[in-house]
Amino acid sequence: MSQQIPLTWFLYFAAASFAIGLMGVLMRRNAIGVLMAIEIMLNAANINFIAFWRYGDVPQGEGPLTGVMMALFVITIAAAEVAVGVGLILLCYRRWRVADVDEFDTLSG
Amino acid sequence: MGSGLIIKDFLIFSPVIILTVWGLASLLLDLTILAGQESSARNRSLGLFTLLGLVGSLILCQYLAFDVIGPAPGKDARIFFGTLNGGLLYSQFASLVLLFAILVCCLSMVWSFTTHWGEYYAMLVWSALSMIVLVASEDLLTLFLSLETMTICLYLMTAMEKTKRRSAEAGLKYFVYGSVSSALFLFGLSLVYGQTGSTSIESIGRILSTTEKPGLSGNVAGGVAVLLIMVGFGFKISAVPFHQWAPDAYEGAPAPVAAWLASGSKLASLVAMVKVMGGALGSWAVTTSPTSPGWVGLLALISAATMTYGNFTALSQTNLKRLLAYSSISHAGYMLVGVIAVGISERREEAAAALFFYLVIYGLTTISGFALAAWIDRDRGSENVDDLNGLGRRHPYIGVAVCVLMLSMIGIPPTAGFFGKLYMFMEALNVGGADRVTMIGLVALGLFNSVVSAFYYIRILKAIFLRDSDKGDLRSMGPEIALPLFVGSVLTIFFGFRPATLLEDMEHISMSGLTFAQKADPDKSPNAAAVITPVILPIKPIANQQPAVSTPAQAKPAGN
Repeated sequence: MSQQIPLTWFLYFAAASFAIGLMGVLMRRNAIGVLMAIEIMLNAANINFIAFWRYGDVPQGEGPLTGVMMALFVITIAAAEVAVGVGLILLCYRRWRVADVDEFDTLSG
Repeated sequence: MGSGLIIKDFLIFSPVIILTVWGLASLLLDLTILAGQESSARNRSLGLFTLLGLVGSLILCQYLAFDVIGPAPGKDARIFFGTLNGGLLYSQFASLVLLFAILVCCLSMVWSFTTHWGEYYAMLVWSALSMIVLVASEDLLTLFLSLETMTICLYLMTAMEKTKRRSAEAGLKYFVYGSVSSALFLFGLSLVYGQTGSTSIESIGRILSTTEKPGLSGNVAGGVAVLLIMVGFGFKISAVPFHQWAPDAYEGAPAPVAAWLASGSKLASLVAMVKVMGGALGSWAVTTSPTSPGWVGLLALISAATMTYGNFTALSQTNLKRLLAYSSISHAGYMLVGVIAVGISERREEAAAALFFYLVIYGLTTISGFALAAWIDRDRGSENVDDLNGLGRRHPYIGVAVCVLMLSMIGIPPTAGFFGKLYMFMEALNVGGADRVTMIGLVALGLFNSVVSAFYYIRILKAIFLRDSDKGDLRSMGPEIALPLFVGSVLTIFFGFRPATLLEDMEHISMSGLTFAQKADPDKSPNAAAVITPVILPIKPIANQQPAVSTPAQAKPAGN
């Protein structure tokens, strides 16, 4: 048990995937790609929650599963968000015939 | 913390439960009884059905406030294991959200902008109930969950006008900005959780203010968390530089949805922001050392940028909905001054009450402004300021009502908008200490911006009263538009003459419902005996970690 993976590894991994997701959002032009990048960011936060829960102490008066519960609910939210996101992308695709976020520029000013 | 669920908690939250079922019922009605009917007929019946549910919940909320919750529920009115507030804060803000929802529901019946009425009204009801939960949430889990439920419903409502290209585009833009910002927000929350081991707003505040080194100095993870959480809230209340979605979404969305975005979602998000920034992260507010400015400095910059940018961009707008969007951005800037005052003032409860006063008046006037947009949208198909030409001469009552609204938005007495600004800026000026200069600067900038805002609000009045219409007259507005328009302006005038009634109510709410971390004296708090567990700092070296096996939470598996 002494060879446990330290907490910081998880945090570096989460921070890295969060950064990758953020770069994806900023650089991908395809709307589906942006959606995937957002999912990566949400999952990075989930890894943080789980890692902090696993390695941390529980303050008095707190439930023992706080971080896990948070992650579980975030997974649900992420699923709902994908459903809505794909719906909206389809709606736009039917009108513009592209899924490129740069093309949707009717509104400005 | 009790050992089991308490039935009374469900009774207190019965309006929310009823609304959940009501949304499902409107979906079912649309698919069964109303199936095959014309879009406008379904709109009318489902709108009336939704209105019935909203009014019923509003009455139930008020009944609960007087009978079940009681007039003075004490400081700790939390229910459901401390995750939700079940006191005055909940019942009064729930009533306010429901009032806004009722007005928006009236506006939705104005014209048939979509065919999916079952879904539309279900989304309206569900977003209203998640705003109520958001206002009541005392835990980061419920807070994030309700925030997301609210925005997911709002994305869909924005894209509801399927005959128009701009509606779909607005929905997608809102979605992309919104979900990125909520991912950033969630990452910030995870860092806060890592530092405290808790998701309860109250205990986060307590733990952060009782560590050896309160404040942000040297705490990189805390700084990042504050930054990310601020991005999340900044997006929800459309503060510069996270505002890009707002003008597009407001212009593309149908007018009732835009009114809902500007009033309900802003109200709920700002109350949540006051709770998180003032309650949980309160001890990180002020400057402790030159290297760590605390979040007040950052928020002051955002606030100054928001009000200035919003007002100056609004000057050049010709589309009424876009103009109102920029006006709502600038109001977010003023309200951030109130949030800062809550963060650092000695009189935090009063500062919060002044902010809430402003929020209520802002919400009412904004809905009425969008009611005007809905009217010209229905009859002209466009919503330019020029479409309002000559309105005041033909309909003097409406002209006077709009005049009251615009004066209130500028902040001219005797309207309530004046008192909102007055109270909020007075509370900001009461701040002492190192940040006093910042606050004086912000208030001065706010007053200057109010003068700038007069130019574009008066442009609307000029169109209504001084110009002649080159197009035909609008059709009579009907009760659906008249109700929101006149409710807004009558209440604005009423609270302009009797501001104390609303302010006292808001003070009751903030005294009984808000817990602020920093000032809590650890010797007197009931949890003084609680051992403050060591704070995990992600920046700590690896050697400081305790093996998971020795932690008190033995429920966890020993690892593998």
